[in-house]
Amino acid sequence: MERNHTQELLSAIQHADRAGANAVIEDWARGRSFSLAVTELLAPTLEAFGEIWSTGQGGVSLATGYVASKVAEDVLSRVLLESDTASGVAPSRGPVVVGNVEDDFHPLGRKMVAAFLRTSGWDVRDLGVDVSAAQFVDTAEACGARVIGASAMMYTTAKNVRKIREEIDRRGLRGKLQLALGGAVFKLRPELVADFGGDGTAASAVEADALFETLRQRSLGLAPACGRRTP
Amino acid sequence: MTQAKRQLCISCSIFRKEIEALQASGQLDLPVEFLNSMLHMVPAKLETRLQEALGSAHARQPDGKVVLAYGDCCGHMDTFESEPGTARTEGINCCEILLGREAYRKLRKEGAFFLMPEWALAWKQIFVGQLGLLGPCARTFMQEMHSRMIYLDTGLVPIPQAALQEASEFLGLPVEILPVSLDPLLASLQQAARATQSHD
Repeated sequence: MERNHTQELLSAIQHADRAGANAVIEDWARGRSFSLAVTELLAPTLEAFGEIWSTGQGGVSLATGYVASKVAEDVLSRVLLESDTASGVAPSRGPVVVGNVEDDFHPLGRKMVAAFLRTSGWDVRDLGVDVSAAQFVDTAEACGARVIGASAMMYTTAKNVRKIREEIDRRGLRGKLQLALGGAVFKLRPELVADFGGDGTAASAVEADALFETLRQRSLGLAPACGRRTP
Repeated sequence: MTQAKRQLCISCSIFRKEIEALQASGQLDLPVEFLNSMLHMVPAKLETRLQEALGSAHARQPDGKVVLAYGDCCGHMDTFESEPGTARTEGINCCEILLGREAYRKLRKEGAFFLMPEWALAWKQIFVGQLGLLGPCARTFMQEMHSRMIYLDTGLVPIPQAALQEASEFLGLPVEILPVSLDPLLASLQQAARATQSHD
């Protein structure tokens, strides 16, 4: 009987079993490739996981979300290794900037988003925790990013998103530079995204890729040229 | 009825020993109702319980003042603290309230993970039971996010050395003991109590 690798991988992630998940991927990739595993195994599995996650059903815990992001990182490492050995170059969908807003020291969600974005081919510039508005926008301008992803866990720190909005507007980059917001408070209160000047949010880290692509397309539609090194 | 008697504090039980010590020493003249600190793990439940506690307090004393001894621990804490006659202790969480803003920021930037006395004893329930962190996943997770654990020792209960050692081994982080004063907590409670008077 043929193995259902997608179901096995999903089950391993739901049990926070990183080693088990990697064994499933390893088995699937035998005779194929890890880059193929990204599109044909990991992506549909993460999509299914994202659906479970966004509904809050199915026993999704902090540990399972974390393991999902680590598995994505593990596969990406294998893809990069594969690319090196084949003298290939990993495809890039352009630079994006992510970080926790000023005063926010909760890195988990941001790290998970960064991992999923990297696996999807984005060139992620991760600025870490407690990032000032100027740091976000300086980095985005320097690398030509179309999207900033700012993470905040609580209302108190989420208010600092307004500073990023103001900095983007002050530099005349509204529309050109899109602001994606994430974190527990935005999941609970999505209306705050607009209140604080964000351009969009996603229900889970797994869905960040789709959000960033939507915002990138919106930016390209509004301003074909952006930053010093537009991708 | 005095002004102080018309005030009530609704506090997370994480501060129980500390607040009781401040009351016993006469530094804090405020009746306090404690809610279980484990509610923090399910913010929606905490929100419901806080709403009930606030509703009950206002029903008992419609013009009473309420101090919330909490960090920004649930999605609508800002709504609660903006109610007339209500104010919250300043700080994003209990550790910042106990340490003060600057010390908290400095240690967090260094990668510290804090353990308050009440939660130090319940660490396994939190990490394994609530967060689902098991085996190597627990160590990888903590080591990726943090450089060390810091037990905030308020001096009111014996340091749970065995529990801290067990947590340190399980989570793969060294543990430090940091003696802390109750002064920042007292100042924060007093500040919030004053704010309730000018917040109608």
